[in-house]
Amino acid sequence: MPTPKTLADALDAGSNTGVGYTFVGEGGARTRSYAEIGRAARQIAVGLRGSGLERGDVAALVIGDAEQFLTTLIGAALAGVVPASLYPPSTTADLPRFFDTTASVLAAAEARAVITVSAFAPGFRSLGSQHPHLEFVFTPDDLDSPAAIDEWRPSLDDVAFIQYTSGSTSMPKGVIVTHRSLAANIEAIHGPSGLDVAPDDVGVSWLPLYHDMGLVGMSLGGLYSGRPVTLMPPEMFVKRPVEWLRAITRYRATVSYAPNFAYDLCVRRVKDRDLEGLDLSTWRVAGCGAEPINAATLHAFADKFARVGFRPESFLPSYGLAEHVLAASVSVRQRAPRVDFVSADALSDSRLAAPAHPDDDAGIRLVSCGRPLPGHALRIVAEDGSGAGEREVGEIALAGPSVMRGYYKDPESTAEVLRDGWLYTGDLGYVSEGELFVCGRVKELIVINGRKYHPHDLEWSVEQLTGVRRGRVVAFGAGEPARAVIVAEPTGTVPAASLAVQIRRTVSEQFGLPLGDVVLVSGGTIGRTTSGKVRRGAVQASYLQGELAGAVD
Amino acid sequence: MADAASSRIESGVIDVLKNVSRRPIEPTLSSDLVADLGFDSLQVLEVVAELEDAFDISIPLDDASATRTVAQVVAHVTALVEQRAHR
Repeated sequence: MPTPKTLADALDAGSNTGVGYTFVGEGGARTRSYAEIGRAARQIAVGLRGSGLERGDVAALVIGDAEQFLTTLIGAALAGVVPASLYPPSTTADLPRFFDTTASVLAAAEARAVITVSAFAPGFRSLGSQHPHLEFVFTPDDLDSPAAIDEWRPSLDDVAFIQYTSGSTSMPKGVIVTHRSLAANIEAIHGPSGLDVAPDDVGVSWLPLYHDMGLVGMSLGGLYSGRPVTLMPPEMFVKRPVEWLRAITRYRATVSYAPNFAYDLCVRRVKDRDLEGLDLSTWRVAGCGAEPINAATLHAFADKFARVGFRPESFLPSYGLAEHVLAASVSVRQRAPRVDFVSADALSDSRLAAPAHPDDDAGIRLVSCGRPLPGHALRIVAEDGSGAGEREVGEIALAGPSVMRGYYKDPESTAEVLRDGWLYTGDLGYVSEGELFVCGRVKELIVINGRKYHPHDLEWSVEQLTGVRRGRVVAFGAGEPARAVIVAEPTGTVPAASLAVQIRRTVSEQFGLPLGDVVLVSGGTIGRTTSGKVRRGAVQASYLQGELAGAVD
Repeated sequence: MADAASSRIESGVIDVLKNVSRRPIEPTLSSDLVADLGFDSLQVLEVVAELEDAFDISIPLDDASATRTVAQVVAHVTALVEQRAHR
């Protein structure tokens, strides 16, 4: 194992390579060497220190542009200021909710500064009046100071940044990432059991930088390994998914990671005529992670792009979470994804993921996420707290140098997930022949296009509507690609058709989330447990079996 | 712009919306793409790409995020088509 590096060490080493980031936009591409990124970051560091911020102060980052985001994040870390990366608003319609959520995050983190683009700066300045901690609102240009300072060298146990999770209205949590955990995770991912990074590797990514896979996996990963990385805005990919594949072709990329939905978008939206000119034969690591991996999606992608040189052995399914910096396990390189066909019982806790009969209609296909990273431990915990056996489903728990120190200024949430040296992930999985298969979320998060929504947040907001019975609303994700579904019991005081429209509007306005389906059911359909919790799983199962639709018109 | 051209753009926009939506929709000029028609942020950008192809125009990403109703989309496309005619 190489000696762990701080971000400052990585920047020094990267500056000697001559390579750097290429930022692609609608107007073209520009390349900045790691040396140039380092100079820009140091100017930001000077600007931050000159403004009156001190070591240990938190500065929140809400910046969409990749170059500005990276130089600001690195600059803050070099100044000893703790950068906290926040999810930006998903649409302009989302702004009021965005400022609400962000205000509580800033207050909880006692952030002294926000660094953001000029469009959002006035919004944050007006927040400042209600939040005495928030003294400064900067744009990156405000901080572009030419002066020099004595650089402060972070040590391995200093906080490198705080990674905020989730875009949901429930309070986002700030994962503390130290230089040591960052280096440990990146080195393990890059090592021979992971990507096995080689001197000729080239990265391409459209992933957002406020997400661990985009920031740590692709961007900082490039810097730490001294390899070039091309970054394009997420919207450019979503608008035309083929642009991702064109960038891989143009830059002869060898490594590119994306969540399952991105591979699905390519299958559905890249047109046959756009295949011409693509060459994916250089792509040796097609990483897939951050959300449930669908075997059918990977299969369809490999099928469609085989004629432009894509190989199924390039897929590298992975499992991880921000609380573990990024990755916890990765599959076996240069092997087509290993798929397990198991009985549907594998989706519930403390069951055996028994192999299903090939003709079993209720069987599900799960993709192996491989073995834990070297120097890291993974175990499956059964419902009674004991260690689960081979193929027994339980909660995935992790230990090792990548596990977070905790959530920033949130000991209560930290204690819920960090117990006895183990990180309890809230994800269900099992191990078969040493490889991890992830079955689902204990927490029943709804994941739509990489964004996570807590069911109880959606349920609560729908319950506030006139015409909906309190405590008789269930939200869950269904379908492929996943769409959010609301099932509710109406009181009967509002016509069903208009109530359904109101529910759609409410969820769309408050969460920026269009609903895939709204089902109004007769009273008593939505059961509750003895402790008063809605039986979300039972309602979801009835819905999936088609037993709910149209129960009330 | 002549009425015929304007209604051609309107029906072209509505065709694109119907094609991109994964469920049956009946868009009108006042429909909101997200709240009424159920488009998510990914589909809104898919609409943008399809409109670019259908009308041979280029819609910058910054403009795309500000559009909310079908009428706004039609007005935007109309303006870009006129610009193209004059270039």
